Amino acid sequence: MARIGVFICHCGENISATVDCAKVAAVASNFPGVAYSVDYKYMCSDPGQRMIIDAIKEKKLDGIVVGSCSPRMHEPTFRRATAEGGLNPFLCEMANLREHCSWVHEKGDVTTAKAIDLVRTLVEKVKRNTPLLPIKVPVTKTALVIGGGVAGIQAALDIANTGHKVVMVERDPSIGGHMSQLSETFPTLDCSQCILTPRMVEVAQHPNITLYTYAEVESLDGFVGNFKVKIRKKAKSINEKDCTGCGLCCTKCPTKKIPSEFEQGLGFRSAIYVPFPQAVPNKPVIDKENCTYYTKGKCRVCEKVCPTKAIRFDQEDEILEIEIGAIVICTGFNILKTSFFPEYGYGVYKDVIDGLQFERLASASGPTLGEIRRPSDGKIPQKIVFIACAGSRDPAKGIEYCSKICCMYTAKHAMLYKHKVHEGKAYIFYMDIRAGGKMYEEFVRRAIVEDEAQYIRGRVSKVYEKNGKLIVVGADTLLGAMPVEIEADMVVLATAGIASEGAESLAQKLHVSYDAYKFFAEAHPKLKPVETNTAGIFLAGACQAPKDIPESVSAASGAAVKVAALFSNDELTRDPMVAFVNRTAPPVFSTCVGCFLCQPVCPYQAIEKEEIKDRQGKTIKTVARINPGLCQGCGTCVALCRNKAIDILGYTNEQVYTEVVALLNEY
Amino acid sequence: MDDIRKKAKELLENKTVQVVIGYGKGSGEEARAIFVRDAAKTDQLIFDETCLQNLAVYILKHEVKHLGKIAIVATSSVLRSIMILASEQQLKDGDLVVLGITSDGKYIDLPNFKAIEDYLATLNVSITDKEKELLKMIDAMTMEERWAWWQNEFSKCFKCYACRSACPMCYCPKCTTDSNQPQWIPVASHQLGNMEWHLMRAMHLAGRCINCGECAKACPMDIPLNLLTYKMIDEMNANFGVTVGMKPDAVFALSTFKNEDKENFIR
Repeated sequence: MARIGVFICHCGENISATVDCAKVAAVASNFPGVAYSVDYKYMCSDPGQRMIIDAIKEKKLDGIVVGSCSPRMHEPTFRRATAEGGLNPFLCEMANLREHCSWVHEKGDVTTAKAIDLVRTLVEKVKRNTPLLPIKVPVTKTALVIGGGVAGIQAALDIANTGHKVVMVERDPSIGGHMSQLSETFPTLDCSQCILTPRMVEVAQHPNITLYTYAEVESLDGFVGNFKVKIRKKAKSINEKDCTGCGLCCTKCPTKKIPSEFEQGLGFRSAIYVPFPQAVPNKPVIDKENCTYYTKGKCRVCEKVCPTKAIRFDQEDEILEIEIGAIVICTGFNILKTSFFPEYGYGVYKDVIDGLQFERLASASGPTLGEIRRPSDGKIPQKIVFIACAGSRDPAKGIEYCSKICCMYTAKHAMLYKHKVHEGKAYIFYMDIRAGGKMYEEFVRRAIVEDEAQYIRGRVSKVYEKNGKLIVVGADTLLGAMPVEIEADMVVLATAGIASEGAESLAQKLHVSYDAYKFFAEAHPKLKPVETNTAGIFLAGACQAPKDIPESVSAASGAAVKVAALFSNDELTRDPMVAFVNRTAPPVFSTCVGCFLCQPVCPYQAIEKEEIKDRQGKTIKTVARINPGLCQGCGTCVALCRNKAIDILGYTNEQVYTEVVALLNEY
Repeated sequence: MDDIRKKAKELLENKTVQVVIGYGKGSGEEARAIFVRDAAKTDQLIFDETCLQNLAVYILKHEVKHLGKIAIVATSSVLRSIMILASEQQLKDGDLVVLGITSDGKYIDLPNFKAIEDYLATLNVSITDKEKELLKMIDAMTMEERWAWWQNEFSKCFKCYACRSACPMCYCPKCTTDSNQPQWIPVASHQLGNMEWHLMRAMHLAGRCINCGECAKACPMDIPLNLLTYKMIDEMNANFGVTVGMKPDAVFALSTFKNEDKENFIR
């Protein structure tokens, strides 16, 4: 006969306010196999745990059921106490009387009855528990940083400086991300590139960092500490070892009128190009879609002029397979293009631009060398209208969230404009000014007071062109929704920050969750902001939601610490709740028929073939075997197996079935 | 047919195989499966329009397997079953000799799985118009009507498991329904137990059934069991573009994920 101990926790008043805990303990003491049953105010406290430890010894218990909070909260606590009492920790089960009962029901007899049912269920389960041993797996102490923007750079440097190896993968030909495109940064107005480029160079030169630009993650297998990642290195069509970065090829390339991605279409680049002068690595790539040789089969000018003969037209994409212990996703964000806004007429009006385009106009290294000039005719605009919340906070546009960075950068834009065009006038249409942050409010005040930015609270309904001017039609809601019409020379839309292109497919490749807007989802919005729900995969920067630079950098440092903490262990201990294939008496040996339909269903590639052999070494039967090091206990194979040859330790079919039966039948 | 008899005789004489599974004359009007082990008896093999049974069901039976290497007279149903058994790692190329036969009784030489795959590709294996009609009838019912209709059909079942025995895909040495620790499916033939058994059977055949119709033919109570599996074939086709049993190395559509899979069932 089993000797189960039942411990009912009041959780202060959290459970006892609606559940009669004493009654639950009293009823449970009469369950078959229960040798001891007690209730206590705080089971997780020291005296509470002591009760469990002592009872195991004194009452010779062989199974423990704690009726308290969620196992997510205190399972480790009570398993530890069980172990201290001398029992295998996996002989302890928790009935969730708080989240599953007291918190969701009114006080009453039925609530207590439900608590009793939950306890009975676990008592029946624990009778069928078996002692289990934790699984130990090694840790590969190399981190993968996906994305080389400011967040990725910070995360990579922080991890590398703890002495661990880092592999950084960047989709574009250069690292730097959006920050390298910015002119000046709020709230200090220091030059973006001046503070970023030293970091970029540090990444390239750091002995612990391996940088792959123009590369993407192809697939990911494995689990925390033991990932296997495939990286596609797209063909750059140059031999990087031979290339000196002299840039002669770019100057001689006859195809020069390709809109530059870095300049947001306001400038041009050649088909063989370095995205910007400070690029890291400062070596060109050939854009196969626009290169005359690749499209028409003729040209090869770059090959002729290259002094080191570094051009390789026959280069192919390369797939690298790397073993990784942890991953930091820093894939950043993007902004909506102005073409998203028919009411603001982009595509028709060249002088309606987005925030990133304005950054390029204001940047000293930009297409106008830092002079604010209209894209249409190059004239210096005398009036600019900035429209904040273009898309953001607008359910009609499908984006209900606040993009967070726009208030600040719009104030910055107005300031930069005023600093460069002293007689110019900036109007800003806004909904609210959200300037929460160190020195942020002061920055906005400065724009209003010192730089005479005129803030108009209201939305813009329409922008249209008339005689070379852009007529902005809006309303001033602080003046009783009075109609406002401004004749502007240029309109800048602070378009919404959105998830980076390809974020969804990357999330699927990495098996991490993402939200409705395709931003990556954190494990807990407050307490686990840089973790994902997948162990060993962390988040930093604007891939999670729109973030400014300081926030991205702090998240990156946070994620780096998580990685370093993971790498401080040589081995990881995992719960032994893994699947296994049964064994039965001869001549069947295992009810597994070896159909291996379970093999493709396993997300962790944990299912392999095993030959059952006789004494002479002859194979009797080939069955599935589940590698306990790889199995994560998700149970998908268990559900698929037709004759239930697979079970999960700690959650066997029999245990779960017994629980259901116990729930349905009272004694 | 003579070709088949000649080939069978040859195989038995030169001991390439120890048993030939084929059709012979039954006691009634229909043909039955015969297991020829003696070269002299190969002229008992027949083939006519009554030879409909899917003989693939015998391939993995312990009693047949221990006789030795098998040659099998293979209609398209048998061939497709072999393709699934191969995909499920139960058969390897060369494990058995396939004596292919067309619906009008002509022998086809199918030396290996590749030849079977190529031959199957030339056949029209879509479900028949009659089967489509039946599906339409069921689809036209409301959810409640359909439930009541099946409840009524299943009420006739007395759990003889003939459907299971007749099915080439039911080759597990221990069926879930035979498990009593825990007892997943009630053994007694009452409404709940019957429904559970047939639901389980249908689910276990989803994406594996090739629509040979043996289950319905085997049922002594004439329950149209194959309607359930017809429906599965229809769905597999519509959702994944898969015709099962056409390749020896097919990946099971229900345990794989492809980016282009429709996810319209997630709402």
